[in-house]
Amino acid sequence: MEVEVFSTEFWQAFAPEAILIVGLLLIFIIPNLGNSKFRIPLTKVQVPWFLGGRRFSITGSPAIPGMLATATLFTALGMMVIESVDGNMDTTTVTSNGLVILQLDNFSRFFEILFLAAVLLASMASLDRIPAHTFSGKKSLEELYDNRRQADFYILMLTTAVGMCTVALAQDLFVLFVGLELASLATYVLVGFHKESKEGAESGVKYFIVGSVASGIGLYGLSLLYLEFGSLQLATIAANWADSTILGTIALGLVLVGFGFKVSAAPFHFAAPDAYAGANSPVAGVLATASKAMGMIGLVRVLLVIALPEGDTDGSAIWLYTLATLSVITMTWGNVAALGSTNPKRMLAYSSVAHAGYMLAALTAVGAWKWGEIEAPGDYAEAIVAAVLFHLFVLVAFKLGAFLVLGLLEMEGGASRLSALSGLARRDPLIGTAMFIFMLALAGVPPLAGFMSKFLVIAGIVSTSVGELWMNGTVSFSDLHWVWWLALAMFINSAISVFYYLRIGVVMFLDIPEESRRKPLPYGASIRMAIWICLVATILLGLSGDTLIDMCYRAADSLNLA
Amino acid sequence: MGSNQALDIKNKEFMLIGGLLIIVAGLMAFFPSLNESDTTVDWISLPLVGFPIIVSCILLAFASQESRARKEVLAVPIRLFTLVASMIPLAISTALFFDWLILVDWDLMYNEYALEKEYVWIETIGVSWHVGMDGLSFPMVWLTTFLVPITIITTWNEKDGATYHPLLLMMGGALIGVFVALDLFLFYVFWELTLIPMFFLILKWGGKDRRYAAQKFFIYTFCASVIMLLGLITLYFLQPEGSGAQYGTVTGRTFDMTVLFSNATAYNMGDNVFLGKDMQNVLFAMLMIGFLVKLPAVPFHTWLPDAHVQAPTGGSMLLAGVMLKMGAYGMLRIPIAIFPDAVVYYQDVIMAIGLISLVWGAIVCLGQTNLKKMVAYSSVSHMGVILLGIASMQPIGYAAALFMMFAHGIISPMLFAVCGAFKHHYHSMEIGAMRGMAKWSPYLAVYMMFAWMASLGLPLLAGFVAELMVMIAFWPEYGWWILLPGAVLAITAAYYLWSMQRTIFEGGDEGQPPESLNGETPPDITLSENIGMIILAIFTVIFGIFPFIALGMMDQWTVAFFEGVFNMGGI
Repeated sequence: MEVEVFSTEFWQAFAPEAILIVGLLLIFIIPNLGNSKFRIPLTKVQVPWFLGGRRFSITGSPAIPGMLATATLFTALGMMVIESVDGNMDTTTVTSNGLVILQLDNFSRFFEILFLAAVLLASMASLDRIPAHTFSGKKSLEELYDNRRQADFYILMLTTAVGMCTVALAQDLFVLFVGLELASLATYVLVGFHKESKEGAESGVKYFIVGSVASGIGLYGLSLLYLEFGSLQLATIAANWADSTILGTIALGLVLVGFGFKVSAAPFHFAAPDAYAGANSPVAGVLATASKAMGMIGLVRVLLVIALPEGDTDGSAIWLYTLATLSVITMTWGNVAALGSTNPKRMLAYSSVAHAGYMLAALTAVGAWKWGEIEAPGDYAEAIVAAVLFHLFVLVAFKLGAFLVLGLLEMEGGASRLSALSGLARRDPLIGTAMFIFMLALAGVPPLAGFMSKFLVIAGIVSTSVGELWMNGTVSFSDLHWVWWLALAMFINSAISVFYYLRIGVVMFLDIPEESRRKPLPYGASIRMAIWICLVATILLGLSGDTLIDMCYRAADSLNLA
Repeated sequence: MGSNQALDIKNKEFMLIGGLLIIVAGLMAFFPSLNESDTTVDWISLPLVGFPIIVSCILLAFASQESRARKEVLAVPIRLFTLVASMIPLAISTALFFDWLILVDWDLMYNEYALEKEYVWIETIGVSWHVGMDGLSFPMVWLTTFLVPITIITTWNEKDGATYHPLLLMMGGALIGVFVALDLFLFYVFWELTLIPMFFLILKWGGKDRRYAAQKFFIYTFCASVIMLLGLITLYFLQPEGSGAQYGTVTGRTFDMTVLFSNATAYNMGDNVFLGKDMQNVLFAMLMIGFLVKLPAVPFHTWLPDAHVQAPTGGSMLLAGVMLKMGAYGMLRIPIAIFPDAVVYYQDVIMAIGLISLVWGAIVCLGQTNLKKMVAYSSVSHMGVILLGIASMQPIGYAAALFMMFAHGIISPMLFAVCGAFKHHYHSMEIGAMRGMAKWSPYLAVYMMFAWMASLGLPLLAGFVAELMVMIAFWPEYGWWILLPGAVLAITAAYYLWSMQRTIFEGGDEGQPPESLNGETPPDITLSENIGMIILAIFTVIFGIFPFIALGMMDQWTVAFFEGVFNMGGI
């Protein structure tokens, strides 16, 4: 269905996104409601104006922004989920001169759900992580500080969500880029929000500088693409890709840098560990899950929608070897670096680099495209994309969950040393067990969600490398496509990764807690709730992921890869 | 007041987890059955596999919420409850063998299974919850159900029993899951699931180097099994696409082992070779790596001595008794059944690995000063015998391998129980550090002698039957090479007798208690250890004198297997 911008159908289709924006505006307005009056000039008539002045005690409560943000995200997410249970969505927004701006389909809805789920869990956790102190009486400087930054924090959170949703919906590289920058700028500030630690501001600035360089390069690539094709519409570029010159290839490479930074692929990952370690844990969790998924959308759009060989022509994509190299370097680098890091947040950051490598390996396998006996390469591509989507989605469960457990530890002082985790399983057996399950899921131990996702990714790679050789009856090992070795590389890497994931388990179950951490863990109802949600999702999506797998396949299908 | 509140909150969380587990159990009960006309009772999924795992999860979640002092109090009821819970699978599996519950037809052709049940699990990729038992798996299942209560009894006084014994129960459930799984995916899930309770058993109750040993154990076997998994996935996609209830709605392939076996057999029977020779060899090697590490065979065995020496007694008993057999079971179940041509191709390699394990394990045993390490290396040596049986390519060799798995599964827990008793009462396992213990601990001395004799293959005890059969199968294939395993049997006798002589005999009239006792009088073993070991001893004798109780079923499976896979007649 094609709709005009701002028509009735438009609002019907984009109601959840509209709710996000309304919620965003409300967080601006509500804390500022006060008894101010506006005097009509030259008269003595005072009209109540309500913005500014002495704030009302109910609306001015520092707890309001957090609750508003959580409620907004929850409503929007609920609407999206209910809508997508019904099945297919297809709404395209076009301008009067025929440009396609936003497209609402299963693919974009899937990612929106992912983004909102991640941001919702993070903001639930932040209700406790950055608490609002509403009791009356004298407050300490710290508490005033916490109260002061409530509205700012949640505004930035919602902005991130809106930006990410735009990226998911965009059908024009320019719109996509605007959304990307909106989300990125918000996250740069969020990273710097961790004011308790010295590294907070430093890592925020570092992340900002590296990120803006990457964006600049990406933007330069976009301008070259425009030079080559005269348009930034995905459909137009994809249609003309086959007869593009070398300029198109160069532009593609530059755009890859921009998105590669977002998914923290080597060698553009250097800022990621610093940023994650410096940010407070819920924010780091969003960076490691939603932000990465956002970059992955960019990669899928550019690599798969635009730069695949057309239809069912023979041959592989031009980026095949480049991406294969990048993926192997990324996963190995991430895992080897994680082995040596003693800061749990840095370790999780490097593990997220490794996971980016796994997903790049999966995308590489799509690039093998049509070879051997494969008749319809689109089906194989669909399976791989579905696996990547599944992986991105379940990352929200266990990677974010692991960050939230660290967030719980941050509530009683930092979580930047491995020893902060020591004895966690004795101090709080359930939280310790939850963390251990998250670690096992990250390592890919069955029957958890992490195993299922790794399994699907590897199955996707192997299925492409095997192709339809079984039709010949006898198959020789040398007949397989070389992308099979990427699956082996993934397996070797996940075997390496078990070392550092298990180390956390050992520390939690065996070591004696630090002197300063002998008391029970701080309680924090909503952060624990968020951890439980992650835990349940990690286990259930591993045990029976059928619904989600189906959803991923539908999402991948709506990309129409040949 | 504050602590009271905290308790309330924790109970809420406990209820949340308990509720979750009950929901999962409920879901299991309502799995849609693949074959709707099949209304027979499912004796495997919940009673044998699900029940121990769920009960132990609930007990663990419950116990973890209590304070240290409360845990001490709770340990006794939880132990008792765990023991009773572990008896239920034992009762069921025994009853199934003797046809007390229902009439089970154990007279099976190749690729036929008793009590088979199949439920839809992950439809999109063709995974089903498919369980069943045959002559290969049933002895192992019975062995597991038998060993779990024995282990619980033998290690009755282990510290922190509120969590220790439920972990043993969980281990048992996961192990049974490995043996009954008839779906590659399910098999892999249980295969990895066994690592987790074992990891904790070593990590929390282990010796001084437990941290290193637990991690080494986990990582070593995990690395091997991911290679196996890659092999399985490649195999999965190399199958022809099909349609039917077992096949994935998206991928068009299935993880169902029975379908895979019948496809492979159909190919291999004709002039074709399933997947081609080259491919068979590669996949066979990939799968075998996973199983050889678990077995363990010599180049991959280094995790075992560490794990055993550091593991608590109960962990060692289950590790040696059942977990090692997972490797041999997996080999016979998957790669050998699917790739018979690759078995022929690799026959000499398997034989070489088996011989090296046998010889190397025995020679290393001679030099050991630690009793438990010696027993651990003797396991490596005995597992080599299983490989020899497989490499012989004779039906009798396969039956021997099966019986070796079974016999070693009864004898080795007893060996480790003896080692555990030394550790527990003498605080030392150094062979040279104590002498003449027969005077102080006559019971322990008797059990030690019995177990050592059983393990070195004394006639009329279970171990002898298997070794004799392997020798018989070995001769026609490899001829005079038989002198090597023969010589190893002599070495085995040497290290066992030598260690026994030094530990329980010698030392004059008064003996020489170890220094670790600090001059106290050496005690004898406790009642619970007595009970556990005597049951093991009784069954060692029973299966030594009447091997056909288990061997009949194994023979039948072997004959059917050779007809189905290698296209050869009976023994």
